[in-house]
Order: sequence, then structure tokens, then C-alpha cells
Amino acid sequence: MTTRRAFLSQLALGALLNGQVPRGRAKRVIWLFMVGGVSHMESFDPKPELNKYAGRLLDDTPHHAALENPLLKQNLREVIAGLHKARPRLYPLQTGFAKRGQSGIEVSDWFPHIGSCIDDIAVVRSVWTTDNNHGAQMQFHTGRHVLEGQFPTIGSWVHYGLGSLNENLPQFVVLGNPIDPCCGGPAAHGASYLGPEHGGVQLAVDPANPLPFAKPHVAMETAAQRRQFDLIHNFNKITAGQYPEDAGLQARIKSYELAFRMQTAVPEIMRLSAESAETQKLYGIDHATTKPFGETLLAARRMAESGVRFIQVFHGSDGGAGKWDGHSNLKKTHSELAGQVDLPIAGLLKDLKQRGLFDDTLVVFATEFGRTPGAEGTNGRDHHPYGFSVWLAGGGIKGGVVEGATDEIGFHAVENRHYVTDIHATVLHQLGIDARKLEVPGHKRIDLDYGEPIHRIIAKA
Amino acid sequence: MFKATLLLCFSLGLYAQKPAALTLLESRCLSCHNAAGKQSGFDLSKRETALRGGDRGPGFLPGRAKESYLYQVLAHTAKPAMPKFGPKFTEAELALVAAWIDEGAPWETVVSAGPKRSSHWAFNKPVRPAAGSLDALFAKRSQTLASPEVLLRRLYLDLVGMPPSPEEMARHAKLSYEQTVDALLADPRYGERWGRHWMDIWRYSDWYGYRRANEVRNSHKHMWRWRDWIVESLNSGKPYDRMILEMLAGDEIAPEDPATLRATGFLARNYSRYDRDGWMQDAVDHTMLGFMGVTVKCARCHDHKYDPIAQEEYYRLRAVFEPYEVRMDRVPGETDVEKNALTRIFDAALDRPTYLLVRGNIQSPDKSNVLTPATPAALGPALGKIEPVALPLSSYYPDHREFVHTELLAQARAAIEKAAGDPLALAAAKAELPALEARIAAERAKYAVPADPKFEELAAKARELERQAGLLRAHEKLQRAQAEMTAALAGEKPDSKKVAEAQKNLAAATAALTQPATGYTPVGKEYPTKSTGRRTALAQWIASTDNPLTARVAVNHIWLRHFGTALVPTVFDFGKNGQKPVNQPLLDLLATEFMRSGWNMKALHRMILLSEAYRAVRPASRRLEAEVVRDSILAVAGELDRTMGGPDIDPAKGLEVRRRSLYFSHSPDVQMQFLQVFDGANPTECYERNESVVPQQALAMANSQLSQEMAAKLARRLEGPGFVDRAFQTVLGRLPAAAERELAAGATPVDLIHALFNHNDFVTTR
Repeated sequence: MTTRRAFLSQLALGALLNGQVPRGRAKRVIWLFMVGGVSHMESFDPKPELNKYAGRLLDDTPHHAALENPLLKQNLREVIAGLHKARPRLYPLQTGFAKRGQSGIEVSDWFPHIGSCIDDIAVVRSVWTTDNNHGAQMQFHTGRHVLEGQFPTIGSWVHYGLGSLNENLPQFVVLGNPIDPCCGGPAAHGASYLGPEHGGVQLAVDPANPLPFAKPHVAMETAAQRRQFDLIHNFNKITAGQYPEDAGLQARIKSYELAFRMQTAVPEIMRLSAESAETQKLYGIDHATTKPFGETLLAARRMAESGVRFIQVFHGSDGGAGKWDGHSNLKKTHSELAGQVDLPIAGLLKDLKQRGLFDDTLVVFATEFGRTPGAEGTNGRDHHPYGFSVWLAGGGIKGGVVEGATDEIGFHAVENRHYVTDIHATVLHQLGIDARKLEVPGHKRIDLDYGEPIHRIIAKA
Repeated sequence: MFKATLLLCFSLGLYAQKPAALTLLESRCLSCHNAAGKQSGFDLSKRETALRGGDRGPGFLPGRAKESYLYQVLAHTAKPAMPKFGPKFTEAELALVAAWIDEGAPWETVVSAGPKRSSHWAFNKPVRPAAGSLDALFAKRSQTLASPEVLLRRLYLDLVGMPPSPEEMARHAKLSYEQTVDALLADPRYGERWGRHWMDIWRYSDWYGYRRANEVRNSHKHMWRWRDWIVESLNSGKPYDRMILEMLAGDEIAPEDPATLRATGFLARNYSRYDRDGWMQDAVDHTMLGFMGVTVKCARCHDHKYDPIAQEEYYRLRAVFEPYEVRMDRVPGETDVEKNALTRIFDAALDRPTYLLVRGNIQSPDKSNVLTPATPAALGPALGKIEPVALPLSSYYPDHREFVHTELLAQARAAIEKAAGDPLALAAAKAELPALEARIAAERAKYAVPADPKFEELAAKARELERQAGLLRAHEKLQRAQAEMTAALAGEKPDSKKVAEAQKNLAAATAALTQPATGYTPVGKEYPTKSTGRRTALAQWIASTDNPLTARVAVNHIWLRHFGTALVPTVFDFGKNGQKPVNQPLLDLLATEFMRSGWNMKALHRMILLSEAYRAVRPASRRLEAEVVRDSILAVAGELDRTMGGPDIDPAKGLEVRRRSLYFSHSPDVQMQFLQVFDGANPTECYERNESVVPQQALAMANSQLSQEMAAKLARRLEGPGFVDRAFQTVLGRLPAAAERELAAGATPVDLIHALFNHNDFVTTR
């Protein structure tokens, strides 16, 4: 009997891989997503012109052409028309910046630790998307505008396309609070038509209760539970003797063995106390500010090490559009949030390097859009889909390079523009998957904007 | 130009066809060289732009293929070699392109004679196979029939969605197989079990919001009435063609019948607050997918690459749906439609034009041509005549119904009682009651047949009373706003938000005092007095015995759910890109029998269930659907609440509320976790369930509160001598084998029940 699942795998994977296991430079992905929209100008794309013309209307500066650029319309697909406007009064940078590393790439003063790793990072400064509202969070993960509906996410395609590295663990894991239902919700790590088995499994960084149904509802000794699983196993074995051709039954017997091991393996991964004090410090676990995200990233590294394929980490979910959504008080909120993530992320990169995991672990730092060069109210910036920054590191990505550029005020991506699916294609390419060939009967991953790998940031093998 | 040709030629028995070379070029080149992308400035979507060429010069020279740049890059005699992605064109393909350019590169050729019909199997009507019963056509090697015990369990899970209780097993042991089939088809649980199947296919979703509760973005409130209509229709044996008619056009064929109007939830479900275009797309795409297994969505942007559906035909289908919108009508017992109402569709904008969207882009409608409704020519006979429907008063003015008046008056009286002790509010409430009475009287006169001569007089009275009541209410609000203002300013730190709020209320109340009265306010909203009749025509076209697809698609869905594999494996695509039927004579037998029986689903089930094919031994087990797993645990534990129907329940209450799973809210935002783990339906599209086997299911069955508590309950219930036998009988519907009995002897009662819940045979059918 062919189940739909089996049918899909035969057809799509067969076509996809021609019977070969994909071999790419990267084996796994740690995907860091800042929820709400990080200001590109105050992180990885500093724009001194904003200070020069601070408080001036765009029309009154040499950069007035930004508002006449046809991209302003072409790039935009609004959910609620007119809700977010291009803000015309330029707002100065809220922090300083400096050239960092050998490469001298400019990074803001809110991210000094990541800045110290810049020679291992490729910054893409010319990313754009089409939704100027937070549906862009989902769009960044599916490559489709939220109004088109829900589609499989990048993590679910990786899960679908690649085999398992460790059968005791879920292969697509979600850490941190996922995106709120306002902006995609669980669909932002879902598998849509690929089926829920390819969706991200949300885990809590809590050894006591890391995954749904991970522990017996009524607490019991491991030995007692082992007896229960043995009893189930033995009953199923008797039936299997009666129906030797029943593949589903064989799969179920195996799934119980896996489940039992997962029950142990997942809490074990979350047991961060197994790590040395030095390592914990590297992630900032010794400081209250950096502790929560530090723990999340240390758990992410432990998973990467143990063979989880795709680790999707969220920062800043707040039961709404996200903490990075700096409509007001940008200086205060962004500086605090950067303080929470900067050191742990740098710690992750350094830790991956010292453990020899950096070369085959691809780290992506992303957000749904940038923020307006102009001020919103007195001290904020609005949503900005026309040009923003994403960076990649490890997994065969060149370090110390900048790809693309926005104009002098950070308004439009003007040089080597990249829609979000170019980031997908680059990740898939590094994993050895051709982004154009991902499809299942009735569905293509992307109809038009497949995305192209950004070859300029890929290191020669 | 092309469109005009197409239309003109139809009437002459000619039609325009796209040259094969152009279809080939489009399929291989258009994804980069299109109007939006224009790689190297080259756009192949129109003849003008293709001729003009791109950054590197003219595209081609009509009549001179070998000198044409387009041909040279394809032949790899010029650079860059094309296509950039995918294989080089074969010699045969190059020859086709060359011949086409040499002919002058026409964008269409006119082909003579005959309607545009396709030879594709699915686009031609099914013919009943001459020889054949179901079993003769099924033609598997000699079938051993399953034991009565296995069969009874199979039938129960299949038809009512839970295993038989020991009492039911004893009762059915005395009946023939046929009698059991008939009894289960008459069991009301059948409608719940199969209702959920059809809810999958028809994309049932409760409403879900984009930004929190009140900004509905998709689907609609109170969709559960449509779910109840599905369950009831199946149980009452409503013919399938009638069901289609009611779902697509219940508002036109039975405008005054709330029971029928519920069916239009099928189209109300596509509602989208911010994306009318997406809403229309869903209505078109899923009507065609669900009822006819045709993927028309490709034709949104360009002519369909596999099936004979032109882009213009896609938009003519859309024109059928263009006028409709969703509204909520009051139901007896609740005046607030947000809390409870009948969600239904109606034609709101009878003349709203439909345009072809160039490349599917909402920004570029082709306004030179308003498209009239029609169905794709290749998919069957032409759409029947569209007859506008005159609607009765109670339909176009639903708040004019007697019960609405009665309840609004009761509400006004209750407001008087509530206002006791607050003189200003009381005065306002007391004035509002006669004002409402007067407004109702005026409305009655206005709509009386023959016209009531007293209307003008009644209207004047209503206006006056309403104005008086309005003034009193404004006075009350003014005083309240002033009090709020005083309070807001009183504290040490005035709450600026409250002050602003009070100021706003104060200004509004003051303005209300001086507003002149202009007429009275009608009791409710009035809608168009006519409906276009377009959807009725479409429903009749779909649910016609002349439609080659409708019956086949339905019987294929039914077969899939009885056997676990479909006769046409791509259940959502019967077109050229779908798979061929594994047994077309069998499919056609079922389809023709289905139509002959008057689209009688129960008769079709019966025909299948009584066959040897169905009763045969099955070597492999099939995992049960999520809802069946949960319902079965509750049922065998004796804890299932069998109450039918009603509003959807919060899935967080999946344990304490022990209703069947289909009664819990299910939408892209909200699903019960236990059901999700077992591949619960994807509410946006689920023509077929996944049947995965993953460790998370094992964890849910072993560890969840549901399975642990129910195991404990059942163990207590079955306590006593003969426990092991009764445990096996209750949970698995059979007695234990010797080896199993031995194994069971060593386990505690709770552990045994728990193990049987986790047994492969509990979560599967065979």
C-alpha cells in the first residue's frame, strides 16, 4: 500500500535527488530570526548621511529621488493599504558605528561582539521583501506574501529534502517563542502541504519538559515506563508475527523505540549544566541580560552537534508584532534587545569554530524587514521592506564580505538586490539542494521568485 | 485582439489555438522572460515585446528562423546558450520553433470545425462498462474474506468512526453483514464520521484573525452551522447533486430557508477581509478542485499549460462568483450577530465587473473587456441560461422578520428595567421603546402589499419619537461624559487617556443634541432585491449527469476513504498533469451507478461495502484519522459525550469536554495539539489526509493526559474476573491469543489497558 506520504517521497525526492544523498558544504542550519524588524541602519548598514541631514525632509536633501523611485510601488504589496507610509523626515543614527575586523566592515556600536566576528560573516545589505507589515515574518520563511496563504517554510523543505543525522532527535526544531498568530503564527515554522511530520517541533529550553507529551502526564519512574514500552513492544511483536507484510506496523514498532529514546535524548540536550563554566560564559549565561538567549543558543549548538538539521531560533516574540518593532523609543528598545543577543550570537560563532563545527554549520541572522530612514513620531522608525540587512556565516560562506548595497540613506536596495528567496536558495545550495527542483505533485515550492544562490558570498570549496 | 477572435470564432464553429511552438517557448522561457522579470530586457509574453527583443537586439525575424537571435541562442549557435535553466531544446523542439518562426511566428492560429473538445479521458463522460459488477472489474486474485470480527471493526471505524462496544458486537453477531451495513448507514454517527471527510474536501475552517480576535481575516464567524448542515445532510441521505446546489446557491434556491442557507458556508469560508482577489481565487480554485478535480489556478496568470483552460476562461469562472459577499443574519434568541447568527452568502454587487488580470496581477486588469460568466469549454457542455432570481422581502430585508421585531422590542423593554435607579438613562430607555415601535410600524407600512396609505404619517411619527429618544440619550451621555471628565481630572495625576476619552464622548454627545432629524432609522439593513442566478447556473452545470468529472471525483474520494488508496491517485487533479486511473472501468461503473441512483451516497457506500473487494482480508493496517483516534479512546472508556451539533468548542478543552473531535474549533490558527500530531486536516487544503507514523504519536498515546486518564477509567470499569478478555474485547474488538493472554497476565490492569491503547491495532484499521 502506498500512503500519500510515501507517494510524495518517491515522486519528489526521486526527482529531486536522483537517488543521491545531497552533499553540500553545510550539514545543518542555525536560523536566527529577530521578530519585529531590526533597523538595518543601526546594525549592519550604517548610514552617516542620516546624521548629516537629520531632521530634514527628504525632499530637501540630495536624496529626494528615493521617494520617486518606482520601486516604492513595485516592491509593495500591502495588507491594509496606507497603514505604513514612507517617513519623509530623516532620523539620525541612534548609535555610533566603527570599522571592525581585518575587513573593516562597518557595524554599529550596539553589536560590538558580533562585530568582532565580522571577518567570518557575509553581510547582505540589499535584501528586500514586499509586505510592509508583519506578515513579512512569515514571508521571510515561505518566500510568499502572507495574502497568498500558508506554504511550507524553508526549514520544512530542508527537513523534507535531507535525511536524518540522528534519529533520536527531531530534525527540525524551533527554539524561543514562535511568531505570534498576528503574523503567521505556527505557520512560520510549518510544513503546510508537505505534512506536519516535516514541520518544526517546538522545544523548550527546559530539561524538565522540553517537548509536547515528552513526559508521562502522571509522573513515573523511568524503569516503570520502560516496562510499559516493553509491554507495548511485545504485544505489537505478536501481531507483527501474524501480519509479516504490514509495513505500517513495523514503522509503528520503530516509532515507539524512537519515542522512548527521544524522551531521554531531548531533555539531555537541554541539560546545559553539562557544559563547562567557560562555555556558559562564552554565551553570557553568567549575566541576567544575556542569559535567556545565551541558553537558547547553547541549546542550539548542542543540537547542531547532535545532528539536528535545522534549528530555527526566534528572538523578540512578545505576543504581538515583536519587540524589535521600534515604532517609538527605538534607541532604548533596540539597544536593550541588541544587548540581549549580541554577546550570545558572537559566543555561538566562536564556540562553533573552536569545536570544528563552523565549516559545516550555516548560521543565518535575519529579520522581516528593516526600518525607515525617516522618523516615525519623535523617536521611532516605521516598517521598511525596500532594503535591509541579513547576514550569513559558516557552512562554506565567505567571511568579511559585504554583498549588495542600499542607497546612501538606506532607503532602497540599489546594488545586487536580493529578494528573500535568494537567502533560501543560498542556504539550500550550501546544503546541496537545488532550490528550483523542490516540488511535490500539485505544488511548486515557489512559482516565480525561486531565488538564486548568492555565489559572490560562497567560498570556493 | 486575441480575445475578440476567440469569441467570434466560437460562434462560427472555429476557435483560436495557441501554436505548439509558442506553448513550448512559454513553458521553458517565460519564467524569466516575462513582463515583470524581463531578464536582459526580453519579454516573451506578448508578440510585440518578443519581436522588439531585449538588451541584445531583436528577438526574432518572422520568416527567417535561422537568422533569428532567439533561434540561435536556443540552438547554441549564439551566446548566451539558452535556456539558462533546464536542458537544451531537442532537435525536434528546435525544428518546431524554426518552423513556427518561418511561418511568421503567429501568436494564434485559427483551427476549424467542431467544439473545442479534448480527448483526455477525464474530460469525456463516463460510460457504464458493459460487463461488470464491481467485483468483476476489481479483478484482484481470489479474495479471502476477512473474519466477521475483523469486518465488524472495519465497518464501525469506517462508517461511524469508533470501534463497536462489546454490547454492539453481541447485537451485530445476530445480524447478517448486510443488515449491519444498513444499520450503520442509518446510525447518526455516520454523518459525523463522513461529515468530517467532506469537511476536509470542502476546506472547513472556523474563522481566524490576522490581528487578534475582531479583525476577521479568513473564513467567518459561526461556521459551525455549515458543519451541522453537512452532518445532517449526510444522515438524511440528501442527494449529492442537491448538496452541491445548496452549497453554491442555497441563497438563490431557498432564500427563506435558514436550514438550507447554512450550506452556503462553503463559499462564506473563502471570506477574506483584506484580500478580495485572494477570496475570489479561493472560491474559483476550490470549487473546481473540490467538485471537479481540476486545477484551474494555473490559468490565473497564463493559459493552463496542461489542461485546455484559457486564462480568459478562468476569469469567466470568476465572474460567476464576482457579485457574492458574506453576511450574518439574525437568528431567534440572539440579537447580537457577533454572538450568534446565520452566516450566509448573497449577491451584494450585481453589476460588479470581472476583468482578466494580465499575468494574474491585480494591478493590471484588462479593462477593455468586461467578462461575462461562463465555464471552460473543454470541461463539458456550455453553462446553462443564467436567470436572475427575485428575492422575497424576508430575504433581502431579514430584520423585517417578525421574530426580529419581537426580540428587539423585548430588548428595549429589558433596557427600561435595567435603567431603574438612573433617572436620565431611564428617561432615554422609556422613550426608545415607543420610538422603536413607531419605526417598526413605519417599516411595516412601507413594505405592505398593497401599499399602506398611512406610511407618510407613520414615518413622521417614527422620526419624531426617535428624535426625542435620541435627545434624551444624548443628555444621558453628556452627563456621563461630564462626570467622567470630572473624575479623570480629579486625581493627583489625571489619566490623560481617560481625559481624552471623556472629551471625545462629551463632544459627541453635545453634537448629538443639536443634530437635525432626517427621517427615521430603518430597523435593519436592506440588501439587493435580486440575485444574479449565476451560482445556480454553475451549480447545475457541475451537478449535472452531463458533467464528465463531478461524479467521478466524488466516487473517487469515497473509494479512497473506504480503501485507503484512490482509483485516481491524484484525487485533486484529474487533468492531464494528474495520474491516470488505476482502473477506469471500475471508476466509471461507480460514477455511472452513482448518478443513476440519483446521486445517492448511501447507495454508493452500500454497493462498495457489500462487494467482496471491500470484505477481503487486508494484509496491511491503515492508520486511523486523528479524530477517530481521539474519539475511540473516549468511546471505549465509556466517556464520550455523544451530543451532536452546536457551536465550535475551544480545543484547549479537548479533555474536559468529551465531545467528538469534529465539534472543536479547527482553523490555521487554532487546532487541538493531540489531533495535529496525528495529521489532523490542514484547514486550507486537505483533499487527502497524511498517514504518517512518527515518534510524536507514540509520545501522545503513551504520555498524554487523555490516554492515561482514560486507561485508568476503563481499567476500573472492567475490574473483576475475566478482565483480560474484556479488556481485549473492549479496546481491540477481539479476544487475546494465547501468547497475548500470557503477556497480559504479568501486567497491572491500568498498564494493560494503556498498552492496548498503544497497540498498533487500536490506532489502525485492517
